[in-house]
Amino acid sequence: MFITFALITLLGALGMLLQKNVIVAGLFMVAAFFGVAGLFVLLANPVAAALQIIVYTGAIMVLVLFVIMMLNSHEEEKAQSSRPVQRWVSVALVAALAFGAVKLVLASPGLKALAQSGAATPEAMTLQKVGVTLFADHLLGFEVAGLLLLAAMIGAVALTKRNL
Amino acid sequence: MDKLASLLHTTPAIAWMVLKVVIVFAGVMSLAAIFTWVERRGSAMIQDRIGPNRAALFGKIRIIGLAQILADGIKMFFKEDLIPAAANRGLFFLAPFLAFVPALLGFAVIPFGKSFVSGGTTYHLSVLDPGNGMGMLYPLAIGGMAVYGVLVAAWSSNNKWSILGGMRSSAAMVSYEIGMSLAVVSIFMTAGGYDPAEIIKAQGHQPWTWNIVRQPLGFIVFFTCMFAETNRLPFDFAEGESEIVAGFNTEFGSMKYSLMALAEYSHMMTASALIATLYFGGWQVPFVKDPSVLLSVACFVVKLVFFAWVFVWIRWTVPRFRYDQLMKLGWKRMLPLSMVNLVFHAWRMSQGH
Amino acid sequence: MGVVVKKAELSWLDRTYVWPVLKGMAITFDHFIKQLFTPTSKRYTIQYPEMKKEMPDGYRGLHELKRFEDGAIKCVACFMCQEACPARCISIEAEEFSDLNITQGFEEKRPAQFKIDMLRCIYCGMCEEACPKDAIWLRKDYELAAYDRLSMQFGKWDLMNTYAEADGKDRISQDPTPSVPRRTIVM
Repeated sequence: MFITFALITLLGALGMLLQKNVIVAGLFMVAAFFGVAGLFVLLANPVAAALQIIVYTGAIMVLVLFVIMMLNSHEEEKAQSSRPVQRWVSVALVAALAFGAVKLVLASPGLKALAQSGAATPEAMTLQKVGVTLFADHLLGFEVAGLLLLAAMIGAVALTKRNL
Repeated sequence: MDKLASLLHTTPAIAWMVLKVVIVFAGVMSLAAIFTWVERRGSAMIQDRIGPNRAALFGKIRIIGLAQILADGIKMFFKEDLIPAAANRGLFFLAPFLAFVPALLGFAVIPFGKSFVSGGTTYHLSVLDPGNGMGMLYPLAIGGMAVYGVLVAAWSSNNKWSILGGMRSSAAMVSYEIGMSLAVVSIFMTAGGYDPAEIIKAQGHQPWTWNIVRQPLGFIVFFTCMFAETNRLPFDFAEGESEIVAGFNTEFGSMKYSLMALAEYSHMMTASALIATLYFGGWQVPFVKDPSVLLSVACFVVKLVFFAWVFVWIRWTVPRFRYDQLMKLGWKRMLPLSMVNLVFHAWRMSQGH
Repeated sequence: MGVVVKKAELSWLDRTYVWPVLKGMAITFDHFIKQLFTPTSKRYTIQYPEMKKEMPDGYRGLHELKRFEDGAIKCVACFMCQEACPARCISIEAEEFSDLNITQGFEEKRPAQFKIDMLRCIYCGMCEEACPKDAIWLRKDYELAAYDRLSMQFGKWDLMNTYAEADGKDRISQDPTPSVPRRTIVM
């Protein structure tokens, strides 16, 4: 199951990167989101999976596709000049980053402890627990995030309305 | 019923699962097919017409035109399947499925009857057993997916009208989903759980304890948003045949069109099942404290069919909104109303009711 | 001159939108129930092959060539209708006939062939107006369709028999010998 969902996620992400057509790329991204939602379910967190689908695929990607359709620029523009040096440098950098990240994860003490004791079966996440976590354990962070979003919203309204 | 249930002991759990899936999806699909006919006959009756009553089995058995469904199916099957030259072929093939599958999947968590115990095992009458952790979030998530069918259909047919329809529909769906979610959240709050089984249990068997009485405002918001979600007439912005030819399915013909149409009706079934579950006590039989399983299933089906009929009824009563009116209603009426509903019930709960 | 159009003032109840929708639903439901319980014969819709519309008097449908009691054709082949026809769909061939016993020595005229091309006919009724003998008239049959063009060419006998069944008369396919001289009838 893990392999299936991981493959869906990775293939979706790859397809999104390689696809020249913006809309098709967006749909590949939806597939990637689905894979991630499946991974969440495997992690015994169906709430996160549902929210992932509701928020990301149900709202954000729809809006992104909406904007793409409205702008009506479906084909990627050709690069004016190919820059082979930059391309290879970026590939090398990404590879180095990925390598470092994998090495860090493998070297982390948590993983070693896991390897010795075996993974504890995770308790299923429910909406009630999410609520408790948000409003009791991480109230400050939640409120700050809310404030930030409110400020962003007011800023967006102020930017788009010509005369308030 | 007991004899029937004892048969279950001999079968493995997977067979019961398969049976449920077959019952639910076959039931929903055949109801959807029947409702294509109900829609046409009902609209005809509302407009003092008669509607399709001629199609007959073997040219003789007329059964008030019910054979029309078969006739339509056969006709759609043998029509030429046209694909526009400039269409995106892959997505054009994919679109009807993207429309159809989410419409059916939303039904999976909804209990269509009372759970029963037989031989020490509890059998739940819903495809996904309660306690799966997704609960009512699942139909909301799947409902959000439904817009992709419209969007992909609209874009892949490479037609100006289609793209207009798809854009309008996606904007409308995103706007109405917020109001709908808030209405559902206030039900989660008062029911103290988000599993459909818990929501049904919290409503009880007396009609005046159902959520329709407790949260009439939430019901109005949810009901309205369901129309926007299913793309049915007062909010028929994806199709809008008087403005943009046939909207997202302008270029679709034969079986592809028929799948699109069936998707709309399946969506309608799922929506009415949601309404029945959230606001009308699900499978609870009014005034009967402990109904038998068959009675509860029958009651659920009656509620489902009734709300599907209300969908048809409203479609032929109310004219289509203008686009700005739709947005105004969604953002300036529905969203604040469901907000007010949420805050009111939160306040009531804090007062200890 | 501009006209000031007064907008209807909506009460707050009407502006909630929910109440007017409910009222509208009551109206449509009323129609639904009424239509559902109206017997088929009383509905507005005429279920065509089983039920047929009774056409009003003066309707101009399929022609009939009239005949006398004994079955003789009333037409005297005067060509008036052929002249009057704006669509030129009537073509007549006249013949003389005399039977000394009956016509008392007079020669009389009658059509040997009387053709109407129903595909060209515009059902204007001019032939009926022009006829001095009231021998042709347009009646109420409106079911004029055929699978080929040839069967829309109506000959003399077709035209004489168009309403035979409806009127309960015999179909005739040859000119009878008149029992009484026509001259005595036409006064």
